[in-house]
Amino acid sequence: MNAPTDFDLMAYADGQLAPDRAAAVEGLLARDAHAAARLAEIRDQNRQLREGLDAWLTEPIPERLLAAAAPPARSSAVPWWKPALAMAATLVLGLAVGWFGREALLDRQGTPTTFPRQAAFAHALYTADQRRPVEVWANEEKGLVTWLTRRMGVQAHAPDLNSVGFALVGGRLLAGHEKPTALLMYENAEKQRLTLQWRKGEPGANETAFRYAIENGVSIFYWIDHDSAYALSGNLDRTQLLAVARVVYGQLAAAEATPSR
Amino acid sequence: MSDGALPHPDLVAAIPRLRRYARTLTGEASRADDLVQDTLARAWEKRRLWQAGTDLRAWLFTVMHNVFVNQRALARRDARNVSLDDDGDGREAWQIAVRPGQQARVELVELLGHVGRLPAEQREVLLLAAVEEMKYEEIAAVLDIPVGTVMSRLSRAREKLRRAADGNVPALKVVK
Repeated sequence: MNAPTDFDLMAYADGQLAPDRAAAVEGLLARDAHAAARLAEIRDQNRQLREGLDAWLTEPIPERLLAAAAPPARSSAVPWWKPALAMAATLVLGLAVGWFGREALLDRQGTPTTFPRQAAFAHALYTADQRRPVEVWANEEKGLVTWLTRRMGVQAHAPDLNSVGFALVGGRLLAGHEKPTALLMYENAEKQRLTLQWRKGEPGANETAFRYAIENGVSIFYWIDHDSAYALSGNLDRTQLLAVARVVYGQLAAAEATPSR
Repeated sequence: MSDGALPHPDLVAAIPRLRRYARTLTGEASRADDLVQDTLARAWEKRRLWQAGTDLRAWLFTVMHNVFVNQRALARRDARNVSLDDDGDGREAWQIAVRPGQQARVELVELLGHVGRLPAEQREVLLLAAVEEMKYEEIAAVLDIPVGTVMSRLSRAREKLRRAADGNVPALKVVK
């Protein structure tokens, strides 16, 4: 085998060297202090760059860029991520989707409610926000629940998901369709985030079956219990998310059964 | 005003990384956002070229790189605008990388200053490899250059940073 080159050392530092070459580099590192120092230097540089430049990722997104992320007005009959929708009629409803105060262009694909779609959007928007994903942080948990209760007009609960590895990050309030929507965010050790969103006043519904949807890559379990609609969203697979949904459902049912504090 | 359509969540999620890449390319925060906006517009135009199931981030980087190269070619034709040359156009942006809340370490500030003085073509390869942690092959595809060129640019960028850092050692010791 040829002696390791500078490129091999660099690729090794970046974790990109093929295993057969990696062995040769490891041999070199063991006997050449200069190469070992160079490796440490590259890795240290990578770490410093990430540390410095990750700060940029948490800056708030300007409104004009959010607008540019929406389909252009005229030529967007075919949403690029879901060509099947081209066949479906689209219907513009005067539906205030909260923080943008925009109208939503709703697709007609047989979903019983637009709630999961809105939930997926709020999930994608806020879980991507590193600096201010929530309005009220979990360290004020009591205050968070009280605040949501007051704003929602019904007793709010923040399920404890530590048993499935997710800690409460905090919550925020969204302007939903006529009624406010509460959002709670959770995060696990791998920095994966879940959101639980709910709102009151789903007309004429009294069902509890879990339904599953994938909206733009976000998995969602949603259900209606009494007259509240719930949506649990995450970039997890169906089985993982279902396990969390069962915990959430169980805790909410238990909370409903006991008198409010 | 609103055309009634929502921002696409996948695009919204990609915006922070697009802004970072744009800042790497242009060296200026305000011009970087213009580039992001142009890139998103081009991405909608060219959406049929994106293959579902492939990495959206990499595709958007490709679009941005092409938009940037085209704009730079146009700017160079315009004699008035010579500020996009490859030498040191990143200084301003890279110096503000250390945010107020972050503990401003001397080494980091120095390093980012040196990165800002690299030619844009080396800066972007460094960003994609070291910060975005993309595979060399992916970078080659984004920039439409051979893998060997990716590696030689990366190697030259790191060599320059190393030499610059060596030159700074006495100064850093004084500051500490």
